[in-house]
Amino acid sequence: MNNYQLTIKADDKQVVLERILQVTRYRGFLISGINAKVNTGTNIGTIELMVRSERPIELLVDQINKLIDIKDVKVDNSASQQRNA
Amino acid sequence: MAAEKKFTGGDLLFNVLEQHGVEHVFGYPGGAIMPIYDALYDSNVEHFLCRHEQGAAFSAVGYARASGKVGVCFATSGPGATNLITGLADALADSIPVVAITGQVATAAMGSDAFQEIDIFGLSIACTKHSFQVTDINDLAMVLHQAFAIALEGRQGPVLVDIPKDIQVAEVNACLDELVNLKNKVKLPPANVGSAIALLSQAKKPILYVGGGVGMANAIDELRAFAQTTGLPSVSTLKGLGAIDPEDKNYLGMLGMHGTKAANLAVQECDLLIAVGARFDDRVTGKLNEFAPHAKVIHFDIDTAEINKRRAVDAAILGDLKVNLPALAIPLAISPWQTKCQQMAKDFTWDYNHPGETIFAPAVLKEISDNMPKNTCVTTDVGQHQMWAAQHMLFDDPSNFLTSGGMGTMGFGIPAAIGAQVSRPTDCIIAVSGDGSFMMNVQELSTIKRFQLPVKIVLIDNAKLGMVRQWQDLFFNGRLSETDLADNPDFIMLANAFDIKAKVIKEKSQVTAAIEEMLEHDGPYLLQVKIDAQDNVWPLVPPNTANDKMMENT
Repeated sequence: MNNYQLTIKADDKQVVLERILQVTRYRGFLISGINAKVNTGTNIGTIELMVRSERPIELLVDQINKLIDIKDVKVDNSASQQRNA
Repeated sequence: MAAEKKFTGGDLLFNVLEQHGVEHVFGYPGGAIMPIYDALYDSNVEHFLCRHEQGAAFSAVGYARASGKVGVCFATSGPGATNLITGLADALADSIPVVAITGQVATAAMGSDAFQEIDIFGLSIACTKHSFQVTDINDLAMVLHQAFAIALEGRQGPVLVDIPKDIQVAEVNACLDELVNLKNKVKLPPANVGSAIALLSQAKKPILYVGGGVGMANAIDELRAFAQTTGLPSVSTLKGLGAIDPEDKNYLGMLGMHGTKAANLAVQECDLLIAVGARFDDRVTGKLNEFAPHAKVIHFDIDTAEINKRRAVDAAILGDLKVNLPALAIPLAISPWQTKCQQMAKDFTWDYNHPGETIFAPAVLKEISDNMPKNTCVTTDVGQHQMWAAQHMLFDDPSNFLTSGGMGTMGFGIPAAIGAQVSRPTDCIIAVSGDGSFMMNVQELSTIKRFQLPVKIVLIDNAKLGMVRQWQDLFFNGRLSETDLADNPDFIMLANAFDIKAKVIKEKSQVTAAIEEMLEHDGPYLLQVKIDAQDNVWPLVPPNTANDKMMENT
């Protein structure tokens, strides 16, 4: 199992968090932790998602990126490496 | 300046539908969608009452696939909405643009377990490209515009809009000229044209692997020009059938589990696979790590997430096929490989010899294909008849062969044919079904009757769930479990009950005249074709097996 940390920027829209969680589970990633908050000025949510899987993280990044309300998905390499150490 | 006018939510819905060119919708009314059906009364949109919401969803799918337009379906809350789900999942799997409108209980009642309340918004997450729930009448127009934009943008797909009853009756000043651009579109990386050209130039045994994305991108002309210029031998997925001219001398047919021997052997031997709008589906690849084992891969697609999903790609060409295919169309010096592939196509032709007097379904379907009018659209259900239709009927455009590819949904064929007939009223529409699948949405015969749609139904009847029976015989030691359908109804009486002319044939000598009678009949027609229950679909690549280790009829 590899551990990864994703930082996701999303429009603050209905069920966006449910969509991210559904895709994460369906694509074969287990969720180790999650932090989510919304900037009420910009209506942009920031979700930090800690996941683990045997699968390459790019598969999940591409699928989350396809969700309509997603603005950006980044893999935090330093945090991912620390979690794998 | 935008024209402002007072609308109810229901009125606004139909005005936006008309803005998007919607002329026909498929649906079924109920309590929570009654204000929308009241507004339908005064609209210019023609509604086709189906007899089950799943039928409405599949008719919308068939409509979209046959016409290239967005298919639209309506359902009420609760069970009406949940009945749409299979059709939406089917549309998602095959990337079909559908907009589904569901009524919902009033916002004040939502979350109270109200009568006919279900969280269809939550349920839709896994079976749509996107979904909305409108909780403010002022958002309705924008949401509907977005729904159409999302359904058609990039990789197409279904979008659900859930509209509570109080929003349907609320009044709003509408801004009808307001259309949207999607602000969060996935930004595609630049196409790797240089690498792809190098791979093409170096290849000695390249194969063009054509998927359903070609038809969805409306890039058939560009694909055929690409195939012509490069001279590439080609194979097709189930959903790609019709994109390549089936008479093209370099075309080898369908690949995969029930593909042609020539197609599968050529792919296994190739040194370069050029995938165009295809996704390396498991029914195509067989055992994935033994699929095209010597090949490098160029992958054309619109969906970034398909790149490297199941097969590592050497050159990704992301974006519009209409732009990218011409950019890589260069003549290739591959004549020895072309000659070999053409010889394989000649060596492994279909064998229509079938002992005895019982009817051989592949021969019937070939004869229909040879005699059906130009631009006939064929739909299928799922099972043996589906694979026989894919193998033995020829299509000159993907919009002329509508089959449930990704989801493999029994019950697809009849309602999809209804949608196709509504969208193309002057074309011949033939639904090829099996006796198992036919019963899954048999109530839609009533829709055929209601609108006097001249759909032709070819019912391949072996009184079995034939494909499952075949697998039980081959892979489960002949332990036939729940696949016998000997208690089927009398299909002729059943069709007649819906005012559909029907005929049953049981012997080879009856085939030609029956096909002629069906094709010449003005109205709807059901041709029941009794076949031997032991007939199997060949070739067959067993599960988790390389495609060159196919089983054949011996």
